Amino acid sequence: MRRLSAAFGRLFDLFAIVAAILLAAMVLIVTGDILLRNFIRSGFIWANEVSEYALYFMTVLVAPWLLRRGRHVRLDLVLAVVPSRVAWFMEVAVDLAGIATCLVLLRYGAIMTMESWRTGSITIKNLVFPEWWLLAPLPIVFALLALEFVFRLHRLFDGERGRRIEATSVG
Amino acid sequence: MGWIEASIILFGGLVALMGLGLPVAFAFLGLNVIGALLFLGGEQGLPQLTRNAVQSVTSFSLTPIPFFVLMGEVLFHTGVAMKAIDAISLLIRRVPGRLSVIVIVAGTVFSAISGSTIATTALLGTLMLPTMLDRGYEPRMAMGPIMGIGGVDMLIPPSALTVLLGSLAGISITGLLIGGIVPGLMLSILFVGYIIVRAKMNPALAPAVPEAEAPEGLARWLPFLVYVLPLLLIFVIVVGAMTRGWATPTEAAALGATGTILAAAAYRGLTPANLMRALIGTVAISGTILFIIVGATTFSQVLSFSGVINGIVGLVAGHGFSSLVVILGMLLILLFLGCFVDQVSMMLITLPFFMPLVTGMGIDPIWFGILFLMCMQLGLLTPPFGLLLYTMKGVAPASISMQEIYQAAMPYVFFGLFIIALILAIPGIATWLPRLIGQ
Repeated sequence: MRRLSAAFGRLFDLFAIVAAILLAAMVLIVTGDILLRNFIRSGFIWANEVSEYALYFMTVLVAPWLLRRGRHVRLDLVLAVVPSRVAWFMEVAVDLAGIATCLVLLRYGAIMTMESWRTGSITIKNLVFPEWWLLAPLPIVFALLALEFVFRLHRLFDGERGRRIEATSVG
Repeated sequence: MGWIEASIILFGGLVALMGLGLPVAFAFLGLNVIGALLFLGGEQGLPQLTRNAVQSVTSFSLTPIPFFVLMGEVLFHTGVAMKAIDAISLLIRRVPGRLSVIVIVAGTVFSAISGSTIATTALLGTLMLPTMLDRGYEPRMAMGPIMGIGGVDMLIPPSALTVLLGSLAGISITGLLIGGIVPGLMLSILFVGYIIVRAKMNPALAPAVPEAEAPEGLARWLPFLVYVLPLLLIFVIVVGAMTRGWATPTEAAALGATGTILAAAAYRGLTPANLMRALIGTVAISGTILFIIVGATTFSQVLSFSGVINGIVGLVAGHGFSSLVVILGMLLILLFLGCFVDQVSMMLITLPFFMPLVTGMGIDPIWFGILFLMCMQLGLLTPPFGLLLYTMKGVAPASISMQEIYQAAMPYVFFGLFIIALILAIPGIATWLPRLIGQ
């Protein structure tokens, strides 16, 4: 289990790096578009659209990595005041609720993606492509998130019987 | 099911899941699953829920968020911020409470480049707090300004949370960004005035230390011209491009990010390693914000279909309260939530109710938006869970208690409340600048 978890940890790190590169590309594309439009009067007409999609891909790419690092914001006001054994049970409930939520979304995300693929839905803006290209990453991410909640649960049983210290705001 | 039962299920569920300690994004997602089953046509509602999730962040109005965050991350990871502090401290001399004043001025400059309050507070706390304590500054005199100015970062553009507020509430993003400038600067000026008065009344709070022989003339101003002025120029370009209508907020933000990276390179501060650190730091912060949006976007839809929004809005509107009473009520709710809940959740929970009231009662959305931002800003500083209080605890020496940190932040909370009252009385403080540029 631990080796599997470490392997996925490396995968999540890789995802974060891909997201960082995607962000750099977004900056370059939007800046390039402005410069081209102002200097040679023809920019990338697809620049806005591509950066919207990039924003979405960036968000789903980092979600499992943020969960691994405890960076998804949460409230710890109850966890901080209850005895550490109670807090530990709450943490178990948190991970179980997380697993359940992610599995439901995995199932319906997959159904929606298959449906879109079967009916051949097309996304038409400046760029034209099958809609399922956009939908497919979502169930994949929820599968990874469900898996990470399982790893978290495993770490919880491995560790001390208390609460985890995680992010409480993004500021 | 009536709207009262629906609100008990939805809000009770949200409080239970969040209180349990489930990350906010997942609490919203879990509740949406329940809400979709109950109010969006049972199982058929669930695929729609996932489609909404994809659409929620595929949005051009949110793209400035990572760009604004990146500007601050580059500034802090490449050492440019430290050079700027050194340059500013050469200019500010012989002022009572000198180091505290430097903190405010440097923090104001940073907030014109950075879109993240934690980064500003952590950086100033790490760099300035040890020096201040060494020189015999009273801890509250040393920590208060750092936290106070960290909150101001949220008001002065670029600000990631302002973009989010505009996008979620359907208020002009440019208008809100520009509208934050005057209240932000007013707070900075009030802070400086307060520090000087306190230090003059009781010099023991901030002992004046004879400074080493400092350069005069050009040598004194050169570092400012080299390290601070170009940063302010980036701010002028970003804000100017938006207000002149040359660029959308996204495009202005991308220009700002490119400008900041180029400036860091020009100062020879940029390396592939610290650029990557800045990019990774940015995707972490923006990913956290945006994933909450993925989770919460259907929440307002569920609230609307369940009749909760109509119920509560109808209840408030039916009482015939004046718009001032309604605004005061909304601000009190925000100040209360700010003590316990993070800023993104505050927006997601309240905006579905607040915006129909704001529109229905003919309240100026920019005025309301700036008041909303002020309350969120105070939420960073109010005990027991203000984020900047904890950021400060994280960088302060272990001998400093949480109690002292609360006390240090208090005067700055009062100044915030004072500005809120002032904006309520004189809406022009918030709306004058946006009006000037036709927002």
